[in-house]
Amino acid sequence: MVKHLLEVKNLYTYFKTRKGIVRAVDNVAFTVEKGETLAVIGESGCGKSSLAKSIIRLLPRNIHTYKGEIYLGNEDLMKLDEKKMNEVRWAKISMVSQAAQNSLNPVIKVGQQVAEPLVIHEGIDKKTALERARKTLSMVGIPEAFAERYPFELSGGMKQRAIIAMALITDPDLIILDEPTSALDVLTQASIMNMLKTIKKETSKTFMFITHDIAVSSELADKVAVMYAGQIVELASAEEFYNKPLHPYSIKLMASVPTLRTDKKLEFIPGAPPSLIDPPKGCRFAERCPWRFEKCMDEPPLFPIDNRSFVKCWLYESKGSFK
Amino acid sequence: MSVKQLKETFKQLLAYRSAIVGLCILCFIMGLSIYAVIAIPYEEAIRAWRLGEDVSINNPRNASPSWVNFFLKKKLPETIIMDTLKKESGAKKKIVEGETISVIRIEFPFEFNYDDFPSELNLFFTANYSENAPYITIDWIKPNGATIRLKEMAVKKTDRYYISIDDELAKKLRLYLSEKVGQEIPYEIPPQISLFAVEDESILKPETVQVLKGKYKMVIDGILFEKQSDINSRLVVYGKVFGLAGTDHLRRDLMIGLLWGAPIAVSFGILASISISFLQMIIAAVSAWYGKWADMLLQKATEFFMILPFLPILMMIAIFYKLSIWVLLVVVIALSIFGSGVKTYRAMFLQVKELPYIEAAQTYGAGNLRIIFRYMIPKVLPTIIPSLVLSVSSFVFLEAALAILGLGDPVVPTWGKIINDAYTKGALHQGYYYWVLEPSFLLVLTSLGFALVGFALDKIFNPKLSEM
Amino acid sequence: MRRELFAFLKYAAKRTVTLIVVVILAIYATILVANMGGYVDEIIKAQTRDSIYTSVFQNPAYQHLSTEEKKQLAEQLYQIEIEALGLDKPFIYRSGGYLISALSLNLGRAIYLTSDSGSTAVRNIIAERLPATILLFTTINLTLFFISLVGGLFLSRKYASKLDKAVVTLSPLSSIPGWFYGIFLILIFAAWLGWLPYGGLVDVPPPTNPFDYALSILKHMVLPIFSWLVAYSFIQTYTKRTFFLMFSSEDYVEMAKAKGLPPRLIERRYILKPTLPPIITEFALTLIGSWMGAIVTERVFNWPGIGTLFYQAAVFMDSPVIIGEVTIYAYLLAITVFILDIVYAIVDPRIRIGVSGA
Repeated sequence: MVKHLLEVKNLYTYFKTRKGIVRAVDNVAFTVEKGETLAVIGESGCGKSSLAKSIIRLLPRNIHTYKGEIYLGNEDLMKLDEKKMNEVRWAKISMVSQAAQNSLNPVIKVGQQVAEPLVIHEGIDKKTALERARKTLSMVGIPEAFAERYPFELSGGMKQRAIIAMALITDPDLIILDEPTSALDVLTQASIMNMLKTIKKETSKTFMFITHDIAVSSELADKVAVMYAGQIVELASAEEFYNKPLHPYSIKLMASVPTLRTDKKLEFIPGAPPSLIDPPKGCRFAERCPWRFEKCMDEPPLFPIDNRSFVKCWLYESKGSFK
Repeated sequence: MSVKQLKETFKQLLAYRSAIVGLCILCFIMGLSIYAVIAIPYEEAIRAWRLGEDVSINNPRNASPSWVNFFLKKKLPETIIMDTLKKESGAKKKIVEGETISVIRIEFPFEFNYDDFPSELNLFFTANYSENAPYITIDWIKPNGATIRLKEMAVKKTDRYYISIDDELAKKLRLYLSEKVGQEIPYEIPPQISLFAVEDESILKPETVQVLKGKYKMVIDGILFEKQSDINSRLVVYGKVFGLAGTDHLRRDLMIGLLWGAPIAVSFGILASISISFLQMIIAAVSAWYGKWADMLLQKATEFFMILPFLPILMMIAIFYKLSIWVLLVVVIALSIFGSGVKTYRAMFLQVKELPYIEAAQTYGAGNLRIIFRYMIPKVLPTIIPSLVLSVSSFVFLEAALAILGLGDPVVPTWGKIINDAYTKGALHQGYYYWVLEPSFLLVLTSLGFALVGFALDKIFNPKLSEM
Repeated sequence: MRRELFAFLKYAAKRTVTLIVVVILAIYATILVANMGGYVDEIIKAQTRDSIYTSVFQNPAYQHLSTEEKKQLAEQLYQIEIEALGLDKPFIYRSGGYLISALSLNLGRAIYLTSDSGSTAVRNIIAERLPATILLFTTINLTLFFISLVGGLFLSRKYASKLDKAVVTLSPLSSIPGWFYGIFLILIFAAWLGWLPYGGLVDVPPPTNPFDYALSILKHMVLPIFSWLVAYSFIQTYTKRTFFLMFSSEDYVEMAKAKGLPPRLIERRYILKPTLPPIITEFALTLIGSWMGAIVTERVFNWPGIGTLFYQAAVFMDSPVIIGEVTIYAYLLAITVFILDIVYAIVDPRIRIGVSGA
């Protein structure tokens, strides 16, 4: 069996707050193969950002529980001490986070910031690193002259590209993109997605793409994971997912996305996602699920479907479909 | 801010221990202020302070507060006053009328059991006559029976005999005592000591001289040359302690200054702080709202005032124009309104300007002034309250600083003025620590009161870090 | 690079021009205020009268005249001179001339005070005292700055620790100015314990050996510095620590952590560097404030700087010195503001380049 690039098993990440313990990541498992793009879809507050940060181990001060296994290749990242983890960060896994507008140091030139990981992780001298930074910037569509500018001189879209350049420059094994386009207008969004598509095609890098926007995710995804209330409720290939989502939540999500060419009655999901502090017992979606039945009082496991997809729903207990 | 918001803020404030302490201090200071204004009316206080000696002639100079005696082994004397006009004081007077002349005898008997000598000894006279002034002899009787003739003199309509600075008497007494002891006394012993000293060898050194405790009597025998003549006299044996706060170099009861310092300091500080904060806020709001020319003009004005050296100019004005404290207040306000606060507030207003509800107000036709005063300022107001409270302390100390530099109001008693008097008269070198410590203590207390409340308010209104 | 340098020079030039204009206005305002009581005129008249009398009485050509005749002659010359100086005209016309004198630091002669070298030129008197003030207050401000910077950084790492709470609790001490603490420090350490001197610059008589001299100065600086430390180190440390905490929760700091940068580098480049602008603003305000606070502090400690000079001039009503000092203060402030603006531009590229940028 070919080894996975990334394998996450039994990952738990809980935070301590004044109101209680937030179970942001509650027993999550998935794999990502080399060259693949995994899209993680979910509403805000479902724990997907926490998942991303857990993989790269950017934990806040109020962390309560952090356990599981995260294999990058052969190595379990959970077993590394902070110093070794710091060497892994960016060199092997890089992350583009949500708040691109403020992710760049305002008092340091853009080129220097993009070159910085090379200097730190690969020990390259500043001049060469800056050269490579310039090339990477042009790769993402920013003219080389802008390497000498400061972040406040760049537009929102350009800042986002710069950050993506920064994430690519060390040629990491895995690049996590956490809502890279949410803060941008639709046009910029489109151009950035196009750029990402090009990069994916030309470099066959491995991406983990986190978003709440199903439509955007469909442009890049090879594999899809749906997150709800801190858990993964469906894991399937992109083709299968976008054609025929299986989990009731996924079905509802798809039904709420407008399509261009077909005439569709848009639906919405009544109710609100449960709080992560005291999640309901049993299936967490049961409250809002139109197909719930008595068994949903117990928490369903992830049922495998044809060895490629997984669904966390009692309706799939016997490996067929239910409709 | 509505009443409900005020109550809410107050409740939040009470959650901080430091704020509770601060509020208690402020209540105390307010209490002092109210008491001062009620107990000693303004005019009277100013009069007593300005006239000093004339009004407080019965007070000792540089006397420590009475409660000091509680801590001392050697008890310092209190002031003993005997007045023939006040029978309760123990003074005795008898006139024996003759055919043409009368004989008058005044006796001042008193007990002196303190461990230390009086600071001064004065006799005051008022006499009634038309042409011939009465003539008196003054004798002093010590507990050991020794009688000493102090002086013979005629008594004018108002007359005084400063016994303790009578050089001739001092010399006479030094000689007398030297003979008594059999050795020459090597230092210039003043009358208030020689008249009270134990007459043995202990007198030879100023450190060892002892008080002769017991019953003393001053006897004044006089001849009245006219039928209607009369003499009234007052003997003041000045102590070394006085009242709750002691006295200063002009015999003034420091309590007057300490009490009145409170309302003056507090009103100066609060008036300055509120006026400046509000005026700065209005200027900043206008500058931010109208923009363009108004903005630029106000920016340049702010820079101008930043370069203008505040304290030196203030001092210069105070030196050349001799201002009263309230005019000084106006000058301080005038020099401060374009200060650095304007820049901070302007930044805040620029943000507020962009808020959607401002735009909404514009669309329904609200006038510029209305927007500034009804919408923008109330939004920013809570943020400036902490700095408003905090700056009261700095204005209180500004007034004190000016006083210490000798430029304060020359008439009104303030804490700073008392400290200035103390400093210039070398209180620290002479050991009159209370003179400096008492007003300083009140200054510190007032300042801390406002500071503690201000800091707590800052934590409430401007939470910079969300607690994790 | 060249683009940046150009923008920087443009900024510097703009600030210089602005400040020059402001200084001129400020000094002019000072002259106007001073003379509203007619003082500047009095000064000039007195000085003129003095010099004419002296020259008449000392002139060998007039030796043969009687005192009365000399006086008359002097009076006549004086009147002529007054007219020539235009002192019989309203003040406004002459204020321009005074302004130019003040700007070129031609500050006239003192009435009562003299410098230690015997000169009565106000410029010399002030120049003699200026170094002492600069020495003391630069030391105080730099010490405060570094203590609070290091302390603030240290505390920001130990958020909500006991030390943190202690510093927060002691911050209100800053409501009492440094000079006030000075009085008490003198009370304790000079009057009561006798360990340190009451005030002044050096021991009297001053040590001849330069090393001992320097040591003596240091000994006299201890209490003034300490009084300001007690007053201001807590609040400054607290403010900086709050800044650091605020700035360390910025998104780009998290990004830096994600980039796997070593923690020291993050602290230096991602927390400290962006925080410099507000820290420098705070330093600016303290520095400017200390020129003012200097006056009372110097008076309390009898420190022979321009602050005490101001106090002495106030006592003697020596107007030329007073006005001269205010002028010097205006210059000092302008220079301080200018230097700080430049530092600001160096540290914050947004100021350097202008936010409109690209």
